[in-house]
Amino acid sequence: MRISFFKYSLSIVLLSLFLASNIFAQEQDLSNYRMRFRFKSIKQPDGSRILEASFVATNKKDRKDRVPVYEADINFLNVLGEEKVPLGASKTSKEGIARITLPEDQYYLKDEEGRITLMALFKGTEELDGEEEEISIKDIHLDLGLIEKDSIKTVQVKAHTLDSLGVQIPVEETDIIISVEGMLSKMIIDEGTIEEGGYEFEMPIGLPGDVNGNITVYAIIEDHDDYGDVVQKNTESWGILNEQHKEDENTLWSEAAPIWMYVVLTILLVGIWANFVYTGIHLFKIKKEGEELELKTENE
Amino acid sequence: MNVDSRKRELVKEFSPMLLKSTKWSKIWIGILVGFVLWGLAAFVIQVVKGHEVTGMRDNVVWGIYIINFIFFVCLSYSGAFISGILHFFKTPWKNSISRIVEIITVVSLIIGPIFILLCIGRLDRLHYLFLYPRIQSPITWDIIAIITDLIGCFIYLYLTFIPDFAILRDNSEDVPEWRRKLYTFLAIGYRDTPTQRNRLHKITRIMSAMIIALAIVAYTVLAWIFSLTLQPGWNSTIFAPYFIVAGLYSGVGVIIIAMYLIRKYFKLDHYIRKVHFIGAGVILLVISLLFGYFTFSEYFSRWFSHKTHDADLLNTLFNKYFWEFIFANYIGVLVPIVILFFKRFRTIKSITFAAVIAVLGLWLNRYLIVVPTLETPYLPIQDTRPEFIHYSATWIEWALSFAGIAAFVLFFILIMRLVPIIPMSGIIDYEREGKGGTYSVTQYQLK
Repeated sequence: MRISFFKYSLSIVLLSLFLASNIFAQEQDLSNYRMRFRFKSIKQPDGSRILEASFVATNKKDRKDRVPVYEADINFLNVLGEEKVPLGASKTSKEGIARITLPEDQYYLKDEEGRITLMALFKGTEELDGEEEEISIKDIHLDLGLIEKDSIKTVQVKAHTLDSLGVQIPVEETDIIISVEGMLSKMIIDEGTIEEGGYEFEMPIGLPGDVNGNITVYAIIEDHDDYGDVVQKNTESWGILNEQHKEDENTLWSEAAPIWMYVVLTILLVGIWANFVYTGIHLFKIKKEGEELELKTENE
Repeated sequence: MNVDSRKRELVKEFSPMLLKSTKWSKIWIGILVGFVLWGLAAFVIQVVKGHEVTGMRDNVVWGIYIINFIFFVCLSYSGAFISGILHFFKTPWKNSISRIVEIITVVSLIIGPIFILLCIGRLDRLHYLFLYPRIQSPITWDIIAIITDLIGCFIYLYLTFIPDFAILRDNSEDVPEWRRKLYTFLAIGYRDTPTQRNRLHKITRIMSAMIIALAIVAYTVLAWIFSLTLQPGWNSTIFAPYFIVAGLYSGVGVIIIAMYLIRKYFKLDHYIRKVHFIGAGVILLVISLLFGYFTFSEYFSRWFSHKTHDADLLNTLFNKYFWEFIFANYIGVLVPIVILFFKRFRTIKSITFAAVIAVLGLWLNRYLIVVPTLETPYLPIQDTRPEFIHYSATWIEWALSFAGIAAFVLFFILIMRLVPIIPMSGIIDYEREGKGGTYSVTQYQLK
């Protein structure tokens, strides 16, 4: 009976350790993952262009389980028919992103419609198959004006492309996002559509600016089939200065805690420690009485 | 009853437990010391190489160290709670288990906080906690609560030991000189006079009430470390009482296991009897029902409200941690209930078996409270590689965990070598009050 009891206990312990097997190790098998290779172009406010490829493996069953492909060689090319011109190469970061920046005056091969075809190419390794992704975009010129019309602060966006003769063609039916720069991220203040090469709206008032009252406005075209990503920005002293922040006192987030916390903590601690001291005094009295008894016994 | 001769008899009866070492006890202590040394080696590696050698990363910043911390600290609080109740309400059968409970209380309160130190990446900055405390932080409350509780438990344990130290001082003729001096020092001149006895009973009774209150406060603060955050699975209004019930559940379980082992290896069948196991078993049954109720309420409300992050957490619990969840919250609750509910199953061994299941289930329950929540954070963080998101304990963590358990048992044995596990003064008081006949608490009487 004694042995069987220990057997029971031991088997339960072993069973629980066996059941908890996934707390010891996790294994990754490449066949459980689907490779995702994405490519985009972002035209910057200064006219330069970022080419960005992302290379991530996603678990087929658990979409939250994403493994970036690290240190993969990505080549960026400008393609026209059979002709391929290398634009640069980069390795993917720990986030699985490879990126190069092309200057404003970069020469691109274009087709008759003025489209630039760009390609991101991963040649593959022993473990991973090759990947390639192509995008075809037109070079768009985006201007962002911050002007006052009859004392009304107005955001004015103008957008055009150039044909092969250099004639400006107004952009049509293109969604645009207007946002302002914040401390951590951009805050969207308007979304609209560019018609006949322009879009404008009244700037909301009362937005806080930086220390000098400057506010930076962004006009962004996102993931457009014809233009890719395009960003333009402009700065104007339209922001209001933040009022001097009055420091909170005695709150959960201030340096000093709320008064009631000090009061409660003090009452609790004083109450408990008073009891400890009370106990100590009585122990001292017990000791004293013991010593007196000992002396008395010795004298007798 | 001649009190002096009765004291001599009791000392004679318990002396072998204090003085004699068998071959097996030496081997057992050697094994425990081996585990502790293994843990120390792991600790040195951790200090030299940093937390990189553990499974803890940016997402799961708390691993099995914090689980052991909660487990041991809750064990201590429940020990203090139960011990306080036994003394305060003068429970008839307290003599058989009160010292086991008291020793569990103090030893686990020494071992528990060591695990929180192991979690700290920069131990060299530990003193900042005391130099720059934020009164608003639950961590600060917890530090204050643990230190206060530790001091309170030490004082309380000492108070309950004083009469036995005095008995051992006056009746140990064949003990080494150092031991006699130690008993004389620790007995602080206690001669069991009516004044001294009344004084000691009075402060012990007040301290026992204080210990109950302290345990509740400390339990609550420990639960608030989790529940005052917004993390899914932690942000719960019932976490504090849930922790109290869970702590009592593991506490009673460990007490039953300790009772079984002590009874068996020190042959104390006549002191720790079946009636005590049944009593403790019924308490375990009541607490297991309460624990099951709280667990159900906790998960049911999360499942029903179906907030995105709670749903993600439940999904993780029911998939990745399916068997652990089943063991912790079904087997760990239902098996003890079934064993303890039916009278015919209530044997000493089956009650102990139920306690083992309860304790293992509780440890796993803690694991499921801490790790899956940290694996499903609210905010994405940079560089979230899978090994940073998913936690698995390394051998360093297991070594230190087993070293903690070994140190717990070792300290327990060492304290048992200092004073008898059955309080002699309690037996004297019991017989003095004329209750000895009914309960026959001594071997002498059985003869």
